[in-house]
Amino acid sequence: MNHKSNDIVEILITQEAIQRRIVEMGTEIAAAYQDCLPLLVGVLKGCILFMSDLVKHIEIPLQMDFIAVMSYGGMHLPSGAARITKDLDCLIEGRDVLLVEGIIDTGMTAGYLLRNLEARQPRSIRVCTFLDKEARRIVKIPIAFRGFNIPDRFVVGYGLDFRQLYRNLPYIGVLSDAITGLDRN
Amino acid sequence: MAVITICREPGSLGEEVAARVAGRLGFSLVDKTRLAQLSGEMDLDEAGLRKVDEAIAGQCRQIDAETEACARLLQDLIAQLAEEQDLVVIGRGAQGLFRDRPGTLHVRFIAPRKFRILQVRTHERLSEREAGRLIKSLETERARYLRFLYHLNQADPNLYDLTLRMDRLSIEQALKLIVTALDEMGLRQVPRDRIVKDLLPQMPEKRDSGRFANAAEKEFARFLEFYRIPFEYEPRTFPLETDAQGRITEAFTPDFYLPEQNLYIELTTMKQSLVTRKNRKVRKLRRLYPEVNIRIFYQRDFYNLLAKYGLLAGKLGANES
Repeated sequence: MNHKSNDIVEILITQEAIQRRIVEMGTEIAAAYQDCLPLLVGVLKGCILFMSDLVKHIEIPLQMDFIAVMSYGGMHLPSGAARITKDLDCLIEGRDVLLVEGIIDTGMTAGYLLRNLEARQPRSIRVCTFLDKEARRIVKIPIAFRGFNIPDRFVVGYGLDFRQLYRNLPYIGVLSDAITGLDRN
Repeated sequence: MAVITICREPGSLGEEVAARVAGRLGFSLVDKTRLAQLSGEMDLDEAGLRKVDEAIAGQCRQIDAETEACARLLQDLIAQLAEEQDLVVIGRGAQGLFRDRPGTLHVRFIAPRKFRILQVRTHERLSEREAGRLIKSLETERARYLRFLYHLNQADPNLYDLTLRMDRLSIEQALKLIVTALDEMGLRQVPRDRIVKDLLPQMPEKRDSGRFANAAEKEFARFLEFYRIPFEYEPRTFPLETDAQGRITEAFTPDFYLPEQNLYIELTTMKQSLVTRKNRKVRKLRRLYPEVNIRIFYQRDFYNLLAKYGLLAGKLGANES
């Protein structure tokens, strides 16, 4: 699709900076899991580009799976409770699990998933996030591997969306307030 | 510092005198226009203000929680203004909000009905009958507003320091009387914090269990429930100040407590720059209770949260993943 140039008001993290950091993270993760066979669990859909690039730089044997959670505001109306819309294909009991997120903001989704996955009795579970936005953190999440700390800006790109758009941008960009509706406030 | 509250019978020239008083004294005039500007900062536009007024004027006994919360927020807004400026406040139940406060002057404007009808006819270009109807409607609305907020009778003479009969006084004479009263009573020498301390507890609170003060709190509670985050609503009041007899003179009750995070959250839909009083209370709380974790979610935080989940302007938004 054609992105209008005024949708993105600023490039917060360039494609080059992203790739440099991912190489570093891959090395860190490989070192941390070198004596086991980790299971990387990617949280759809925001993790897709990050995880796809990350695993290429984790030069140890590993396995991958994916999980998805319905978010607040999904299906147009906030109702009911969060639920898993795509569960894991494998059991994680006794496994070393690395939860891979695109962004952790309030911590609600990550917190929900950690509670859910911990109940399945993995040997260990740690969190890896590409972006850490602490400004509105409500649920504390222990983050073992972090790509970037970012300020309180509405970001899209590299897997992150607004209205399911902008995921395919190769960088992290700040979305215009006119798009999000924040300009009227 | 001083606050002058203006109660006026419709058509008694109260607004005109109030504007002149504010101008003469260099006080800030708080009228409907100013409130509409400021209330836009808390997501309550003029239409929303009118809705609040109409709801209260219409049916005092069946006001919904959101309307009540808006009315209370307006009182909070006026209280915050009083923390920072000398005010002349027209209507809005201000004689109830600042009742018996040092440094305040409560003025009521009256006039015979015939005089007032003539004023309204001239000002609004109405027939005598239409002017009469408008006056009656405004009288009812204003009386109900004060009764709703503070259970007070607007016509009670004990609420006022000065009652001015405007068919016998010119605007200039009324202005001089007010300024003289202010000076003779030494009201401008009263320290600001004596006027505003614990203003809002003056308002009788009506809390049913399970009801939230405003739509933002309701939305936030829904958000927490969605992610199955256990929370308690206003579970604890923190005393912030006591008098010599040990009675609590100032306290703060954060909106939410998340026991699993050991975190209190105070939600405000006002801009960070406008919540001086709340900020001050939170700072005090943090100083007195350093072990307590508390965060304020300001207007921008809350709107960002809504935008993220596509709940701002009805758009679909981003998942956290």
